This record gives sequence, C-alpha cells and structure tokens, in this order.
Amino acid sequence: MSRSKNLAVKYLVAAILFFGVMTLSGLMSAAYYIQPDFLFGLIPFSIAKMLHIDTMIIWLLMGFMGAVYWFLPDEFEIEPAGIWAAEILFWVFVSAVLVVAATFVLVQWGPSTETTLWLVQQGRKYVEAPRWAAIGVALVMLVFAWNVVGTALRARRITGIMAVMSVNMVPLVLLYLIAFPKIDNMAVDLYWWWWLVHLWVEATWEILIGCIMALAVMKLLGTSRKIVEGWLYVEVSMVLGTGILGLGHHYFWIGTPDYWLGIGGFFSALEPLPLLGMVVHAVYDAGVHRMKTTNRPAFYWTLAEAFGNFLGGGVFGFMITLPQLNLFAHGTQWTVSHGHFAFWGAYACGVLSVCYIAMQEQRRLAVVNGRGWVWAFVLLNGGLIGMVGSLLVAGMAQTFFERAIGGSTLEAFIAGQENPWFVLGMYSRMFFGLIFTAGYLTLAWNLLALGHREAAAVAQPAPAE
Amino acid sequence: MQYDDPKFWRAGAISTTVVMAIALGMLTVDSLEAITPGGSHVPPYSVINRHIGYAYNGRLGRDMPVIGADEPLFGKPVTETEAAAFMERGKLVIQSRSCINCHTFMGNGAYYAPDLTKAWLDPAWDTWMAITGADTKEEAMVRFLMAPEQYATWLRKMPNLGISRDEAVATVAYLKWLSSIDTNGFPIHFGRPQTSR
Amino acid sequence: MTPGVLLVTSVSLGFMVLAAGAYALLYGIGRFRNSRSLLVSAGFAYGALVLDAAGLILATPLALEWKLLIAGSAVAYLGIPPLTWRYLQHTHREEGAHP
Repeated sequence: MSRSKNLAVKYLVAAILFFGVMTLSGLMSAAYYIQPDFLFGLIPFSIAKMLHIDTMIIWLLMGFMGAVYWFLPDEFEIEPAGIWAAEILFWVFVSAVLVVAATFVLVQWGPSTETTLWLVQQGRKYVEAPRWAAIGVALVMLVFAWNVVGTALRARRITGIMAVMSVNMVPLVLLYLIAFPKIDNMAVDLYWWWWLVHLWVEATWEILIGCIMALAVMKLLGTSRKIVEGWLYVEVSMVLGTGILGLGHHYFWIGTPDYWLGIGGFFSALEPLPLLGMVVHAVYDAGVHRMKTTNRPAFYWTLAEAFGNFLGGGVFGFMITLPQLNLFAHGTQWTVSHGHFAFWGAYACGVLSVCYIAMQEQRRLAVVNGRGWVWAFVLLNGGLIGMVGSLLVAGMAQTFFERAIGGSTLEAFIAGQENPWFVLGMYSRMFFGLIFTAGYLTLAWNLLALGHREAAAVAQPAPAE
Repeated sequence: MQYDDPKFWRAGAISTTVVMAIALGMLTVDSLEAITPGGSHVPPYSVINRHIGYAYNGRLGRDMPVIGADEPLFGKPVTETEAAAFMERGKLVIQSRSCINCHTFMGNGAYYAPDLTKAWLDPAWDTWMAITGADTKEEAMVRFLMAPEQYATWLRKMPNLGISRDEAVATVAYLKWLSSIDTNGFPIHFGRPQTSR
Repeated sequence: MTPGVLLVTSVSLGFMVLAAGAYALLYGIGRFRNSRSLLVSAGFAYGALVLDAAGLILATPLALEWKLLIAGSAVAYLGIPPLTWRYLQHTHREEGAHP
C-alpha cells in the first residue's frame, strides 16, 4: 500500500479516536446542565465544552485529510509530493492536540497577558488553542496543501476534482490565519471570526467534502468521472453562490449595519436549495444501483450525508435564519440543535463513509457488510436525532420564555433554563447522548475488528475499479 | 447539450464565486467602517464616561442604545487613550479566561451562562449591590468578578478565575462599552418582559 | 410578533423545507419505480409545501419582501427535483455510466 494510503489510515484512526474524546466531553458538558456541581472546581463547564467543540473540528479535519491522502495516489497515480513531511507532521499534529487538551484540562486559564494567549489558550470559540499550537496547525495545513498541489505539478496533470480541491486549499489555509490576532473591538473580532467559521463550514469545507464525496462515489458506485465532475461544479456554484453572502446571517446582531439583515437573510434562505439537489442526486444514485454495493456501510453513510446535510443544515437552519425570527432564537439551544444536526449530516457522515471505503481496500475485503455497522448506524443516527430533537424543544422553550416573553435579562435567562420543557430537553438530550455514545463504541469496534477474521482466513483480491 | 459539459458548470462556478467574493469584499469595507469605534454603529471607547441606556426607537422600529449624560465609571472620567487601555486589558481578560465558553457576546459563544451584551444594564446588579455591600453597580460587578463563587444566586455557579481587581475593573469597562453598541435591536426589548403570548 | 406566532412561523418555515425534501424523495423513488402512487404522493408532499407557504404568506406578520422570497422558494422547490433528475438521467445516459 502506498505511503499516502498508510498515512491516510493513521489520520482516519486518529480521527475516530478524537471523535471519542468529542463524545466524552460532550457527555460531560451535557451533565452540567443536569447537575451543576458535576465537576465544578475541577473541570468547569467551559473547559468540557472547549474540549468538545475543538475535538469536533480536529476529528473532522483529520478525517478530511485522511480521505484526501487516501484518494491522492489513485487520482494522480504517483506517490504524493512531500509525503515525508506529511508523515512527520501527522505525529506533530496529534501530539500538539494532546498537549493542548492537557493544557486545557490541567492549566485551564492564565493571567490577562499575551503570554497566556501564546502558551495556555486564546479564548476565541473553536480556535482556543494557544498560538504555539495554532502555528503547528497552520504548518500542517500548508504541507497538506503542498501535498495536493505539488503532486499535480509533479504529475504534470490534474483532474477536475483535484483542481477544485487545489484552488479550495487557498482560502482554506488563508482563513485559518484569523485564528491568530487578538482584536480589542468585539464587533471587529466577531466580524473576522465569522469569516473563518462560516467560510470554513459553509463554504470551503462544503467544497472539500464535495470533492471527497465525488471521489468516494466514483469508488463506491463506479460513476464516471465526467458525471461527478459536472455535478461537483454545479454544487460549487450553488453552495458558494448562496454561502458567500449567506455569511451575512451571522452579521445580524454584532454591530454591523442593518443591510446585513436583508442580504444575510435572503442568501441564507437560498442555502437549502443546493442541499435539496444533493438529496435528489443521492436518491438517483441509490436507485440506479438498486441499493446494491459491495460496501453497504460506506453507501449508507453517503446517503446519510446527503439527507443529514439537508435536514440539519437546510430544514433546521431555515427555521431560525430569517432575521425577525433569529432575533429571538439567536444564541439559544435552538442554535445548538441546528449546529449539531448540520455538522453531523454535512461532515461526520461523509468522513465515516470514507473510513469504510479505506477499510475495505486496506483489508482486501470483497464485501463489507454484517450487523455491527448496522447497529452503529442506527445508534449513532438515532442518538443524534434524539439529541437534536431534545435541543429543539429546549431551544424553543428558551426562545419563548427567556427572549420573547422574559426580556432577556439574567432573571429571564434563569426562568428559561428552569422551564419544565427546557429541563425535559436537557434530560432527554443526555439520554440520547448515551445512545449516541453506545453507537460510537459500536462504530469504533466495527471499524477496528471488521474483516480481520475474514482477511486472515481467505486473502481476497481488492475490489475491481 | 451545453449543460452536459462540465466546462459549462465550471465557468458557472468560477463566475459565481468571483462575483460573490467581490460583493463580500465591498460590503466588508463598508461594514468595517461602521464598526470601528466612532463609526455609525459602535461608539468610541470613551463612551464609558457616559450613561448608557436602551430604549425603543419609534422611527427605526427597534430597540437602540441611548447615550446620555456624564456618568463616569467609579466617578473618574477617562481619556480616549485610557479607555482604549481598559478595552485592551478587558478583552485580554475575556480571552484568557475563555468567558465565551460559558457566556455569549452579542449571542455568540456558549449558552450555559447568560448573554453579556447588555449585562451592564441588567437589573439584577441591584441584588448584587446588596449582597456585595457595594455602593455602585460597577463596584458590585468588580467584587462579583473577583469572587463569583462567594456571591452565587443560583444553582449554576461561575468559577473563581483568579481575576484581579485591575482585571475586573477593565472587564467592567469593557462590558459597559459593549452595551453601547447598536446591535440592530438584539436582544429584543431587554429588561421589558412581555405579557401577551 | 407575539411569542406564539414566532414559534408557529419558525416551525412552518422548517416544515416547508421538510415538505420539499419529502417531495424530492418521493419523486425520485417514484420515477425509478415508475410508480404512479409514489408520484401522486410526491404531489401531495408538494401540496403540503404550498399550503404551508400560503399560511406563511397570508397569516404571519413577515414583511412583504420575505413573503415574496417564500413564494419564490416554493416555486424553486417545485422545479429542482425534475430538473435535477433530467440532468442526471441525461448525463448518465450519455456516459453509459454504470457497469
């Protein structure tokens, strides 16, 4: 197996492990809502939550990188350029994440000095990692970009998918520089911060997962390159056509001019349209193959990606995106319900699909099936939908009682948090979170163990291209 | 047919992206001007020397901050430079303690603790003035920040984050300035509970 | 906007997109199986979308421009599944795509 594919497997394993850390810290965060003294004095809510959201970004990023390193040698038919650097940086990346996590848990905070920002944490959501680690992440991503672009140069040719991915690398890497500055003015800070967050998860990440899914569908279903490329360009047009100015739906309330209410609301309202197209495409692909494939889990996770993206991003997003409604729902558990569903559908499902694709080839399995993946699929998706539904109920109660009626003061906040529907939502979320956790454990076991017995017994040839 | 050809859609992808990116760039230039201190939506930092309120503006059809008469923090007016120094320190406190991972600022952050956009205007500080024995709201806020676990009023508690007096003063100044930003009416009718459902 | 109307409006907006998804799903499966009953169900799903959009336009305090956006979206949602389907069929037929 090529060096790039070996590296890909390492990244995918690391991704699944950090997925576990995300799940555990999610349970901890959820516990606080039920038992406020949970680990108070040891690991406050903010630290549990930081671990949760940061490992989410990390595991998905590692999943994307694993997917790309997996497909690169197939796309270019040569060993990717600079793979030696990527191999070293993998260990740097993983170590840095572990050191940062340990710092979060054991040191937690520091005095109000630049030194704290360099060594302890920067305290900006999703990009809390101290600057020394942020430099490391930027370096990892620069080498990642070089691995893609440099390979195209070395091969003296490029496919449409890789061209899209290469061009996408530029904003992907440049936007991360926004993780570095300390900006005194909160309005300006949030203005640029949203460029990083939104133009990652609602633009450049969408393009990246689009490229990865294009490669996955070619492998899984044998779809022709011309078809997936044409579709990829359609997707890019629609996603960036709506998503670039859809950024404005984060600019309603941060002190920016009120023209953003119209611009952001309008383009954001259009964002579900490309997602509906993806649902149609998924149904078409499923039907054309009569649901037959040699890798059922990969296929089902791809379907889950299309539907989850639509439901989590499209349906749940549309509920709260119009400004006159967002005014009430902004910054409540309603946001949390949308965020969890959207991230799961848009990105997690896609990464899991690639895990199964890579695993099939790595273990030379003619067919991937069994009951393990089904249990993992049902528990994870069922758990996620249950969590999201619970958060929706809690979020609606909070919007109604704290914001619409209560006047958003501390007293109103407390009234909302203590409302029986809200409390029910928190208990229910915890219950479904445990189901999700069971799904995660089943998934990890399935990915680890699947095929080893079969591979040992009978050496199967790799599936035909 | 033209729309079968990936090159057709590639041209569409490139032109769409370029047009949208240019539009975003132009809007960014305008928005940055508006949100710079002294711009149309964000008062200069020295606004912390004034009384800040929040009221419904009939002409605009939404809530708006109201900048009033002189009301310096701790009775001591500050220059623009001194106010900027407070903001620099206050923001360092907010980042070094990761406040945004329990609280929200203009609705951004975490939802375990209350939104701080209008914290300066919250009527609850009257209670804390009584509990902390402070004469002024800002003094109550400072005492709370320095030892939040001593002045808890609810089951969910804020941890002690080792905030010094200087840091607390800068943070309070920061929160006062934050409450003066025109956020297009968020949060809606702050401090005015509604009776009809 | 009263608190109750706020919640109803939000849920209605979400339902509109959900109905669009149901319409797309039923349309797709219906086209594959050449099933009249599924295509009729798809029509009913779209009908639910239209009723929901009508409710949003007639019975909520959203401003005119947003109601126009909702109406426009409802029309766009009608066209996306068949147009996408036609595009996919055409490109796959051309390529002799799948083994």
